[in-house]
Formats: sequence, structure tokens, C-alpha cells
Amino acid sequence: MNKEIDARGMDCPLPVIHTKKALESMHNGKIITIVDNEVAKENVSKLAKSMELNTEIKENQGNFYIEIFKEEPVGTTSLESLDIECGINPTKDLVILISQDKFGEGSEELGTLLMKSYLYALTEVNPYPKSILLLNGGVKLAIEDSETLEHLRELESNGVEVLSCGLCLDYFKIKDKLAVGGITNMYAIVEKMNNASNTIKL
Amino acid sequence: MKNEEMYVIVFESTHYAIAGESLLKNKGYKFNVIPTPREITHSCGLSIKFNSDDLENIEENMKYANILIKGIYKIQKIATNKVVEQIG
Repeated sequence: MNKEIDARGMDCPLPVIHTKKALESMHNGKIITIVDNEVAKENVSKLAKSMELNTEIKENQGNFYIEIFKEEPVGTTSLESLDIECGINPTKDLVILISQDKFGEGSEELGTLLMKSYLYALTEVNPYPKSILLLNGGVKLAIEDSETLEHLRELESNGVEVLSCGLCLDYFKIKDKLAVGGITNMYAIVEKMNNASNTIKL
Repeated sequence: MKNEEMYVIVFESTHYAIAGESLLKNKGYKFNVIPTPREITHSCGLSIKFNSDDLENIEENMKYANILIKGIYKIQKIATNKVVEQIG
């Protein structure tokens, strides 16, 4: 028995839910799920993998055709255990702590440009970090008229948590100028860094 | 999938990149300092990404200020591929 699921245009996580239902109701055979984005492709692949089924993925004109082969009845799997990502860009369990408004030491002029360049590159590379924590001079990156505001906003709109240290904003007297993300304190900063599987400090 | 088009100036050296950045900033252009895209060069360089509308003006400004550039590139992102074309 073969079955086709056209999941193009479906919101996440519907392609996975439909594929899962079809797989569970089928004794043996092949299912082809058609999706139109990378995230859905990844999620459907994760589902098949968790059920220990073989897959074959073909791409054609921006659509992915995921063939899943079911040869014998398999156990069910719960969606919660799959860690389905619905963000535009999957995020990694990574926290980036930025403790100054310049990147590196040696030249302030160069450091300013490198920081702009770094934050731009961060918006271009997947997976995105989970959180960006701004501390000490780093909070200056998130205020009105900062040249990196645009990049931080882009990251935030893609699900990255951007948090500035409130005490630091106070110290520089720029609390009223914060233009992206939220305000946090040292307890939250410690928790976030301790709980992350990886922390990068700039 | 989002298809994007961007224009990038690559400079002869980092010092020219810094000079170019401050020139465009003083003139009030909207642009971004970005790491030179890997499709253009693998070395670690700084480049400037700008709006297509400003192409001619920016090119003129660089020439007038004697800021040496390696080239101006148009980069098109089609799905996950990048197509690079040198235009100046």
C-alpha cells in the first residue's frame, strides 16, 4: 500500500502529525510526504528516524519528497519525544555572552567593525543561538542608534532571546534607550549560562 | 524560500575598508559591515553591503576618496545557493 501526503503549505508541526497518523494506520508499504520547506523536511525525517524507518529524500523545485518505507509494524512514538522545531531557524542550545561593544582587543576601531561584522554573520548562519546576553559595554549594542540594532532585532524576530543586564544599562545611564530584547539580572544570567550545553563569551 | 539580492564592495585592504566605512557613514548611507562572503574570498576580510539604489553613488564616492576596492559584487541567494557576479 502506498500513500501520498501533500503537506505543502501546512503549518508546523502539521506535516509531522499527518505523516505520523498515516504511518501508524498503515500495516506495511510506502508513504510519500511532500513538504515545501527545510524545517518540515527535518521534522518528518526525525519522525521516521525515531520509528526506525528507512527514508529517501528527493528535492525538486523547492519541494522535498520524503519517502518512508514501512516493512513491518513498529511501535508508536510520542511527538513530545521528537523535539520538533517549528522556528524559522532551528536554534541550538547555545548561549552567547557579549561583554563589550567591540570584538577582540588590539584596536578599538577595528573591534567596532568586527562586532558589527560578527553580529551580521550570526544572522546568516544556522543554527541560531538560543540566547544572547549583553553585559557591561555589550549593552551598548542594543540601544537606540546602535549600528548593530538591526542584526539583534533580526535574531530576536527569529526566536533568539536577547537580554541586557539591567545594572549595566543603569550604570551607563542608557536604560531608557534600550531598543531590542529584554532586561535581565545576574541570577538569570548565571542560570542561563549554567544550563546551556555551550556558552561562548566575547 | 526567500530569494535575496545584495550588493557587496570588497576592498583592497582592511584599512581601505575602515576608510570606506567611515566615509559612507559620514555621508549618511544605509549599509552594513559584513565579513567578506566566502563565495568571493576565503580570507578574513571586511566588506560593505549596501542597497542597489546607491550603487553608482557609492562607486563614485570611493573613487573620489581614493579608496581602493577589489570589486563590487552582486550576490543572489536562490534557496540555499548563492550566485556571485562581479559588476564593478
